[in-house]
Amino acid sequence: MEKEILEQGLNLNRRKFLSKLSLGVGSAALGSLLIPDLFKGGSPDEDAIMSALPHFAPKAKRVIYLFQNGAPSQLESFDYKPLLNKNMGQELPESIRGGQRLTGMTAGQTSFPLVGSYYKFNQYGESRAWISEIFPHTAGVVDDICIIKSMHTEAINHDPALTFFQTGAQVGNRPSMGSWLSYGLGSENSNLPAFCVLLSRGKGNGQGVYSKLWSNGFLDATHQGVQFSNSEDPVLYLKDPKSMSRDERRKMLDQISAMNDLNYREFNDPEISAKIQQYEMAYRMQTAVPEMTDVSKEPDSIIKMYGPDCLIPGTYAANCLLARKLSESGVRFVQLYHQGWDQHGNLPSEMALQAKDVDQASAALVKDLKQRGLLDETLVIWGGEFGRTNYCQGKILEDNYGRDHHPRAFSIWMAGGGVKSGMVYGETDEFGYNITENPVHVHDFQATVMNLMGIDHERMTYKHLGRRYRLTDVSGHVIKDIIA
Amino acid sequence: MISFNTFRSILENTLFVWIGLALILTIGGDNLFLPEWLQVIGRSHPLILHFPIVLLLFGLLFFWAPNLKAKKDLKEFGEISFLLGCNFAGITVLAGLILAQEDYEGSALEWHKWAGLAVFGLSILLYFIRNQSINFSKSLSAIIAVGVLQAGHWGADLTHGENFLLSPILKEEQETIALSEAEVFRDVVQPILQAKCISCHKEGKIKGELRMDLVEHIKKGGKSGPFVVPGDFEKSLLVTRINLPLEEKEHMPPKNKIQLTDEEKTILMDWVYSGASFDQKLEEVDTESELFQLASQKFSTEENYNFDAADPETILELNNFFREVAPIYPGSPALVVSYFGISAFDPNSLGELKAIGEQVVQLNLNKMPLNGVSFGFLSNFPNLRELQANFTDLTSDEISEITNLQSLTSLAISGNTLDDKSLESLGKMKSLEKLFIWQTGLSDAEKEKLEDKLPDTKIEYGFDGRGVIYDLNSPTIISEVNMFADSAKLEITHPIKTVEIRYSTEGEEPDSISSPIYKGPIWINKTAEVKARAFAKDWKGSPSSSVLLFRSGNPPKELKLLTQPNPNYFGKGELTLIDQIKGENNHTSGEWLGFQDEDPEVEITLADDQKPKELTISLLYHEGAYIFPPTQVEVWIKNTGNWEKIIDEIPTQSTDIKPSRFQALNYDLPTTEFKKVKIKMKAIKSLPKWHPGAGSKGWVFMDEISFLN
Repeated sequence: MEKEILEQGLNLNRRKFLSKLSLGVGSAALGSLLIPDLFKGGSPDEDAIMSALPHFAPKAKRVIYLFQNGAPSQLESFDYKPLLNKNMGQELPESIRGGQRLTGMTAGQTSFPLVGSYYKFNQYGESRAWISEIFPHTAGVVDDICIIKSMHTEAINHDPALTFFQTGAQVGNRPSMGSWLSYGLGSENSNLPAFCVLLSRGKGNGQGVYSKLWSNGFLDATHQGVQFSNSEDPVLYLKDPKSMSRDERRKMLDQISAMNDLNYREFNDPEISAKIQQYEMAYRMQTAVPEMTDVSKEPDSIIKMYGPDCLIPGTYAANCLLARKLSESGVRFVQLYHQGWDQHGNLPSEMALQAKDVDQASAALVKDLKQRGLLDETLVIWGGEFGRTNYCQGKILEDNYGRDHHPRAFSIWMAGGGVKSGMVYGETDEFGYNITENPVHVHDFQATVMNLMGIDHERMTYKHLGRRYRLTDVSGHVIKDIIA
Repeated sequence: MISFNTFRSILENTLFVWIGLALILTIGGDNLFLPEWLQVIGRSHPLILHFPIVLLLFGLLFFWAPNLKAKKDLKEFGEISFLLGCNFAGITVLAGLILAQEDYEGSALEWHKWAGLAVFGLSILLYFIRNQSINFSKSLSAIIAVGVLQAGHWGADLTHGENFLLSPILKEEQETIALSEAEVFRDVVQPILQAKCISCHKEGKIKGELRMDLVEHIKKGGKSGPFVVPGDFEKSLLVTRINLPLEEKEHMPPKNKIQLTDEEKTILMDWVYSGASFDQKLEEVDTESELFQLASQKFSTEENYNFDAADPETILELNNFFREVAPIYPGSPALVVSYFGISAFDPNSLGELKAIGEQVVQLNLNKMPLNGVSFGFLSNFPNLRELQANFTDLTSDEISEITNLQSLTSLAISGNTLDDKSLESLGKMKSLEKLFIWQTGLSDAEKEKLEDKLPDTKIEYGFDGRGVIYDLNSPTIISEVNMFADSAKLEITHPIKTVEIRYSTEGEEPDSISSPIYKGPIWINKTAEVKARAFAKDWKGSPSSSVLLFRSGNPPKELKLLTQPNPNYFGKGELTLIDQIKGENNHTSGEWLGFQDEDPEVEITLADDQKPKELTISLLYHEGAYIFPPTQVEVWIKNTGNWEKIIDEIPTQSTDIKPSRFQALNYDLPTTEFKKVKIKMKAIKSLPKWHPGAGSKGWVFMDEISFLN
């Protein structure tokens, strides 16, 4: 037995020695070949990323992504199709549908009657963009936003579509957009995470959001999205226990860190160093977060701008206000999800409620960033995971109808951060079914966001399981037309 | 078989042949007519030249070998290498002189030629005086070695282009050009010519008599015709040649050279098409054109910074948890400094930035307590373009310091109160492109005055909320319990602390005049619907929020379910209705009985001494979940004889879908003696038309039946 233990120990050491030797020599040689700056100081990791990144000036420093989870109908928001009202109840021509697959929810339907918007549309701003009456505040900032009417995606159900938007793949396990940016650009403010997630839920039919959407995937765990609580305390357990002083907390963390460090030296597991960094950040967050989330100093006009709901924790308005505060404090990527946009039925009543939840606060966020001089460097994105069909799901009633999932064409908007303002990009046919002009695939959208942040989406890769991965997989083109 | 010495002397003699021929070619120069077969020898110059380089350098080494005289073999070996080298040098010189008759001209050629000749001459000299003085030989050998390398370098410049050898390490010197300054020819077209054409069309090597190194030569064109004719593809040889098939002899660049990319071709052709201007600015080109689209990508839209980068060590040192110092993008010399953490802010740390003062172009001090901080540090930043100091409690003196920043183009000082003096200072900042002064307390007249002074500045005033009247949000009513025995405590809160909350306890809408004002916790001692609304100046009163509280009363002796609830919503059976536990606001909580197929019917036996005056049935309404008010409620009582119906009514029916909520049906009971009570309700048989499930059966949900004395 003793012999075995000795052997095992020797083996371990031998293997360790050899693997470390090969790793050390190999990676140093390879690294110096590929990364000329490797030996110029700084941690190799950071240098590797930096040299992998193209050196061009970012237009946006930060992103706030207002994800409308459940897929808001483009036909009741930004894609005005009077033909659908005119031809209400008539069959969708097969030539338009072109054999598009259906979800299980309408696959059984024998008839696909066209249904027009329940809400009225009006034209606004210099771009004369059509916006529906349930988004009056968004209409008010139309000259600051760029509406893209020609988004399309590959997925037809919520979870894969949402995952695709966030991670570039329909299956889970890949890093989220925010994680990629955190990995590539790091945090501006080292007292807060680079990637924060805020959730809210509307009154409409909802779909789930799961933590895989803000997962770091194969990237280092420090790039994971940090979900803020939608209670009074956005970050729970920040306060030290009653009997514990700040100094004691510090001492405790130092001891834990020392022990973790010992372990790290032993095993070299990157998760351990990630853990050490997370403890340290949590310590700094103890002062940074209360300072940042303090609403009491917000002027009355801010409350009026976002709407009084912004004072109720967990609402979309409160999250928009918090997103502004986080972004202003240097958080690279703030991801909001607002649930309840899945209007398979009851669209007229539910969609108005949903719009009421988000319209004012979304517009307020744009205005608020603008009046602080931050809109130029902050990219705001508003949109869902796909669109909705131009035909009715179920029966059409005078004031009630529903729409199924539609991946072929939908609308989103972007503002600030180097995107052209007061612009409508792309066009759909008069049925609102197919894109006729300037299609924007999800990967194109991702490539564009990366580009605005100063990153070439084709060059920011991460090697995992023997291949290089990127957010845009193997496709994606930067939509230069919308970049200012 | 010739002896070694014969071989050596032959080689020594051939040297003079090379000298003679070289003299003829050098002196004769361009006047000589060379047969074609000699051109082949001339073109082998780039091949032969490797021999003398190696052999000469190798031979030269031996002059430095210590104590060479004693080692005869070694000395001889060195000498013969060197002698061979001299011979090859001669041949190379000859070939070179022949090659020079082709399309080579200019100073680079001259330098190379004379350096080559010098190496050749000096090498022969060294060979013959090798035994005279060791020191002299050593120095001469060093000179020759340098000469060989330098001549080779000039030669490489001729064939591969200027500075071919060093360009990879010199390229960092390249400047980025701002889009606003870029010119179509100088910055877009010329770089392509330089990369792909100029190595054969320049001073020193003028193929086809076309030079591209200077604009006047480009305008002049070459042997075959004009290089460019504005707007004319046919006549512009540039366009025709690059578009010939690759196999054609005339195709440019020649087949074996690096070809133009499609993008480069497009740029060159668009340039010719748009008039082949030599001084047009890129910004003057139509932004929709392909030329602009392709070309504009190459330039940064950022400003061009003409200062050197700061020391990376210094930048690293200045970074800490509360201050980020970073280049505006990797590789840029310009720095952005951001401060974070209000409580950690140390005004003295601003002075530390002096070390990178020249490089700082953006400074973010948002929310930092700057009141009373000495603003002298700003003079450290001659290149500051953007300053953000929103909500920093700036004084007018501090603002006047800001006006000294000459390069500032964007200033954000929202959330600071601006007095007359501050306004006057701001009025002087003519260079400002953007000014953000939201929430600074300016009157309309003051705004107008400022706009007059700064006509070219985009001023952002933001949203002031004046005249905008919104609904307040509803207050929150908090009660620990919603069913109580004697009394319950209620608290009402609102996120805006300054609002006035008014409430009512009888179910009526509170108003802003007569309803009681909430001042502290209130106590409720009967089943009641409490409503509350919030009011504030400049706001519309909130919609009301309400809560229903149930007084549990006394439990009866026994309760029997005459009909059975749906097995999925069975709760704790009969006990559910008299357990004095109010169900949660959710029909699946297990504290509710749900009836659909069978109409609910219960029989209650009162306790012996129970003389209730009131009956409360607590129900749940939630139209979205098909849970509706009962369509009929009957209450029967019995003492000893027959059942007697005392109540038969239709409760208020739903008219639309509302969120899940409690409802209490209260009924007065007669004063006569009775021992038993029976309650019959009818669930809705067919949901109304407005409901998505129109026509389906509805539900009745019930969680408690209580009697009050």
